Amino acid sequence: MSRQCALLLPRVCAALADPRQPGSDDTCLEKMLDWFRELREGEPTEKLLQDNPCLTEFFSSVLALPEPNPSILSFTLRLAGILAAAEDCFQHLQQRQLLVRLFGEGGPLSSAAWEDASVRSGWVEGVHSMVQHQPALHFICSGGGIDVVFTLQGDPSLFVASAASRLLVHMLTLSVGPEVTLPLNAKDCDWPACAQMIVKHIEDSLQSSSASHIKQSLKLLTSLFGSCQATWTKVLWLGVAKQVESFLTEDSVQAQHMLPDLLLNMARSPVFRDTEGSFWALVTSALEHLTPLQAGPLAVGILKLFQCPQDVRIQALTVLLQPMDCILRAASQPLEYAGLVDESVSDPSTVENLLSSKSSCASLLCQTLAHLEELLSVAYLRVDLPSATLVRSVVIILQFCNGLLIPASPLGSKISQILIGCFRVQRSALDALAALSQWKRCDTVVESLFDVLLAYLESPNTSPTVLKKSFQAMAKWLVHLLHKSFKKQRQTEKSLQDVLLVLQKRLCSPCWEVRDSSLEFLTKLIACLRDQDEFRQSLLSSEVPKLTENLLEDPESYVRASAVTAVGHLAFLTYFFFPESPVAGNQYNKENTVAKLQEILSTDPEVFPRRAVMSIFTMWLQQCCTGELEETERFVSRVIQITERDLDWEVRLGCLEMVQIFTIYMFCRFGLPECPYTPVPSAVTSSISWCEPLQIFCRVKLFGFLFRSLCDCDKPVGQKACDILLALKSHFCQSSMIDSQGSGDLAAGRGIPWLQRTLRQGSLAENFSTGGGNGVDFEDPESMMLALRTIDFEELHSDLNKCSDHVEKSPQSLLEDILAAVGTIEENEADCY
Amino acid sequence: MPEIKVTPLGAGQDVGRSCVLVSIAGRNVMLDCGMHMGYNDDRRFPDFSYITQNGRLTDFLDCVIISHFHLDHCGALPYFSEMVGYDGPIYMTHPTKAICPILLEDYRKITVDKKGETNFFTSQMIKDCMKKVVAVHLHQTVQVDEELEIKAYYAGHVLGAAMFQIKVGCESVVYTGDYNMTPDRHLGAAWIDKCRPDLLITESTYATTIRDSKRCRERDFLKKVHETVERGGKVLIPVFALGRAQELCILLETFWERMNLKAPIYFSTGLTEKANHYYKLFITWTNQKIRKTFVQRNMFEFKHIKAFDRAFADNPGPMVVFATPGMLHAGQSLQIFRKWAGNEKNMVIMPGYCVQGTVGHKILSGQRKLEMEGRQILEVKMQVEYMSFSAHADAKGIMQLIRQAEPRNVLLVHGEAKKMEFLKQKIEQEFHVSCYMPANGETTTIFTNPSIPVDISLGLLKRETAIGLLPDAKKPKLMHGTLIMKDNSFRLVSPEQALKELGLAEHQLRFTCRVHIQDPRKEHETALRVYNHLKGVLKDYSVQHLPDGSITVESILIQATAHSEDQGTKVLLVSWTYQDEELGSYLTSLLKKGLPPSTS
Repeated sequence: MSRQCALLLPRVCAALADPRQPGSDDTCLEKMLDWFRELREGEPTEKLLQDNPCLTEFFSSVLALPEPNPSILSFTLRLAGILAAAEDCFQHLQQRQLLVRLFGEGGPLSSAAWEDASVRSGWVEGVHSMVQHQPALHFICSGGGIDVVFTLQGDPSLFVASAASRLLVHMLTLSVGPEVTLPLNAKDCDWPACAQMIVKHIEDSLQSSSASHIKQSLKLLTSLFGSCQATWTKVLWLGVAKQVESFLTEDSVQAQHMLPDLLLNMARSPVFRDTEGSFWALVTSALEHLTPLQAGPLAVGILKLFQCPQDVRIQALTVLLQPMDCILRAASQPLEYAGLVDESVSDPSTVENLLSSKSSCASLLCQTLAHLEELLSVAYLRVDLPSATLVRSVVIILQFCNGLLIPASPLGSKISQILIGCFRVQRSALDALAALSQWKRCDTVVESLFDVLLAYLESPNTSPTVLKKSFQAMAKWLVHLLHKSFKKQRQTEKSLQDVLLVLQKRLCSPCWEVRDSSLEFLTKLIACLRDQDEFRQSLLSSEVPKLTENLLEDPESYVRASAVTAVGHLAFLTYFFFPESPVAGNQYNKENTVAKLQEILSTDPEVFPRRAVMSIFTMWLQQCCTGELEETERFVSRVIQITERDLDWEVRLGCLEMVQIFTIYMFCRFGLPECPYTPVPSAVTSSISWCEPLQIFCRVKLFGFLFRSLCDCDKPVGQKACDILLALKSHFCQSSMIDSQGSGDLAAGRGIPWLQRTLRQGSLAENFSTGGGNGVDFEDPESMMLALRTIDFEELHSDLNKCSDHVEKSPQSLLEDILAAVGTIEENEADCY
Repeated sequence: MPEIKVTPLGAGQDVGRSCVLVSIAGRNVMLDCGMHMGYNDDRRFPDFSYITQNGRLTDFLDCVIISHFHLDHCGALPYFSEMVGYDGPIYMTHPTKAICPILLEDYRKITVDKKGETNFFTSQMIKDCMKKVVAVHLHQTVQVDEELEIKAYYAGHVLGAAMFQIKVGCESVVYTGDYNMTPDRHLGAAWIDKCRPDLLITESTYATTIRDSKRCRERDFLKKVHETVERGGKVLIPVFALGRAQELCILLETFWERMNLKAPIYFSTGLTEKANHYYKLFITWTNQKIRKTFVQRNMFEFKHIKAFDRAFADNPGPMVVFATPGMLHAGQSLQIFRKWAGNEKNMVIMPGYCVQGTVGHKILSGQRKLEMEGRQILEVKMQVEYMSFSAHADAKGIMQLIRQAEPRNVLLVHGEAKKMEFLKQKIEQEFHVSCYMPANGETTTIFTNPSIPVDISLGLLKRETAIGLLPDAKKPKLMHGTLIMKDNSFRLVSPEQALKELGLAEHQLRFTCRVHIQDPRKEHETALRVYNHLKGVLKDYSVQHLPDGSITVESILIQATAHSEDQGTKVLLVSWTYQDEELGSYLTSLLKKGLPPSTS
């Protein structure tokens, strides 16, 4: 603890313990606890207590208050717990009877303050922090504290109940210790005293008739098996296994919904995973007995396991596939359909009932689809997913949802009635469909898939969120198929034409969300397919590019921004990569586009389009699309000129990023270290002086912009500018170059000391003129060379990094704030946003 | 018994971040999704892991409703929808949907500006989140699904702020968000109809305060600004882009106009155009005066307030500058503050709450020597003023809203525990309703007693009222009939009507009983003895002896047969309908006593 803090702490403690003072801001108390946690890591805690007797005095004073403020009392309990985590400190506080008075029966436990959830929460958290060693464990177990924790498991506050459960897990783990080997028989097991109490509590609760006690214990076991993988957990399990198993079939307790998490945590633990069949038999039984909605999460968890018996996996997969199987069956003639799952293994009637009920149909389908989507993203899945059939079933669900398919079968017609217009299921199905595009062997169902997606994209009833997902799914499938086998798939080509037609319509939608999603879709397609001739030709011969350009003037700024991005990508197709392209007629003129985007950058009142323009310009420069050297120079110069006074810091930052790329590009061009952005490294032309880049930088007014940015009121801008200047310095100021250039003449260096001084003060700000008014010529290469050499950018860099925002995080500032708040008008605190 | 459950994850006995979970008739709704500006780590967002222990959030929650654009009510939304994974519907009013992204962007900017802030939402996420939002109009009933519906009411407070009624069947909850019962310069007062919800969840920021007249505060504010400008000083007003800033702008604009003042007023970073664009766009959400005068003169087209350029800060002479952000913790407002702080002629007016750690908080608590970025000490010589313009209902306003809505229960959120306790007692005393104030994480359960309207057919009504006393509108009356529950409606009809409507045939249920009597005679003779006996006993009833030998008494049928094993015993099979149950049991007990000695 710093000296200043040590001086402030007694006054802060006195203020906090003073009942006349209004309660301190909760965030201050939280931050103080954070600080003490840090202190505890850094220095011996006993010394902390000895050096700061105000802390123990603070505990005593709060305990002496007849009606302490609950938030202060809660803070006190938590602080005491943090300090008592160290054994010596625990003893120190014990000797003064403080811990008994704080955590024992006569303390807040039995006072009126206990009614307040924050006090109970403080007590549990305090105990949790404290119980890091055996004496603390003994203190809680022998002093009746453990019974309080048992009770708090059922606390009306979710936070307290959950903290109590976590505390019991922690105490049990600490009590048994990691390395203890216990006999593999629960009855003969000689648990340590504290563990014995907790184990007995778990066993008793599970056998009780109280559903809430049973649930608390199941929760505790779940969290224990999730966090502790010691072998003794198996001994504990053996004692309760039968009882837990009985909950699978016992409807009266209604604890079934808690079993999947418990079983999954066990399945992930090597202690249970590797044992003989009994555990897996229980899992199998759970997959059978739980309702499909309950069994779903268990099944997906099982399928994601690396180690698991194959038959359990197959059963888990059956659980997940059954609703999809049901859908397929509902949509087909009886003899047509071979089935996704083996009906001898599972009875479809439960799923059929759930799917034909209005209240459960959507939930079951959404859950199943989400689980399938989750599985599709697992890299090492150990079962084969029937992806083609799955695509078919998802397509059928989508057809049900928008009335494209009304099957004759009673089940099918019932399901389609329930699903029609159901956005929830539509969203989940489209997500699953998008995920399925990555999967192999799906091509057979492509036709119906494109049909249904097109139907969604065309339908006026499709909601904007569903439309967005339809576009995403369509993009994934199109990209996947076009990349793979465009020529073979005439269907895909036709679909592409259809999609472009829909896109034309959707780009004119009155709903901005739809226009935006359409533009995002277009950008994605161009980014992925710009090398495909067929795609390029189809796109450029459609109305889409024209409509996209029109959207640069959209009233909604988000749409304008997306239009900027799309137009920026379109440029690759029209003139950057294919300037001789026959379809690229006069209407796609590079100068026009650049001028339009520059106009947006300088005049758009909203930030999103301007930021988008900066990203596009940077991307163009990165891909060397801005033309020859002179053209690029003019381009960069113009962008800097427009951007340097932009009101948005992200636009300025974007411009700095572009400048950074420009500098690298220049260095490569002139033979300095290799450039990641030049496709063909340019020949090193020794005849060109190394200082040519410097002259170019001066001509584009790059230095004025960089130095101005150093003092930007938004930190990231200053940091970026400093990074670039440091890089320039390292390029230009290599010793050989310095020697050859000498130290510069006096005229050039006149303003530099001013610049140096001003930068050091960190207050360049508004009066910083880059026009040369202060004797610094930012366009003079020699002056700039001198500035680069003289100014200590390293120091500036470390200053800028020291505090990236102005919120003082130091503990001293915190303590000062708490003290300063003493006696302020109460109204300030009551106020809010 | 049907119940409504409410669990605040935030705003339970605090004013940190609003996030209240409501379960009503099997539907789960999240009200607001706010952030706490006082933290820079996970604590700034509500702990969403408590929403559901099992299953996916999107499956559990039916919708999220955002009351208004303040960050303590919507700041965690992109995190919740794009990072935690909620993919369901989000509702808010049109102005809130339009303005939310600006504030979220502002917040993101401040946050990512800080070093080491990762795990944070991006601009793209904000946009994706906003695209999921369904915008609602005032008083428009929106069907979330077939049963759950929501409706927005005007809340004042800030542009677009709304109270929401959530209704499932006949059960309903009203959530006020933040509201203001007195109109201010640009917004009207909150209003709700007498919707008599089962529960009213109301904010209680000023639970114990009766606020002084706003006019006094305004006068005070103008006086301070005027005095400073008159003596050649500069006034800095740190604000957030939208909300209070607009009210203060209107205030200064009219004052400047009236007093013919010349000192320039600036609004920084181009926000004024954007903000004012929204006020113009949503003019119907402003107060009556602004709406009325809109045609002649748009209040939001300021003559005196100009866009600020950072070079202006060094201009000599007086000026007033509105600059963001409002807590003086970064950006332009802090930069101007640093320039002007050293001059005692200048003044900074803080019009809102500042979190600990910010320069705003420090100067408000009286600190005058500030360490800036570890490099230099800034001595604050300028005057520092605090002016509360926050637009919340005071204790009177809260009581007024309760009177207006007539809820059956009240639950207080967004306030301090002590003050809530006081207001709770007041509400319970005055309105005789239960009032709750759960802490964060505590669940309050309210049992509802839904009254379900049932239609009755006129024929049945007439028939039923004809029986018994004359109908009395104030007293409940028992009705007999068949309840048909079909297509979400309940109807009470006569049994005949029900059979007809449902196409069902009537089945007669008969009770039967066997009575053994000792009689060695032939069966028909025993039957005759029974007939004679009954005829003698039941003089008022129609007793008949049918040709097949059976006897009837009203609907009761008696047949005599010989016992299969004992010819001396006869078995009397007695059967009767439900309507004649009394007579049937009387007859069996009579027959069980046996027949009188032979009379024939």
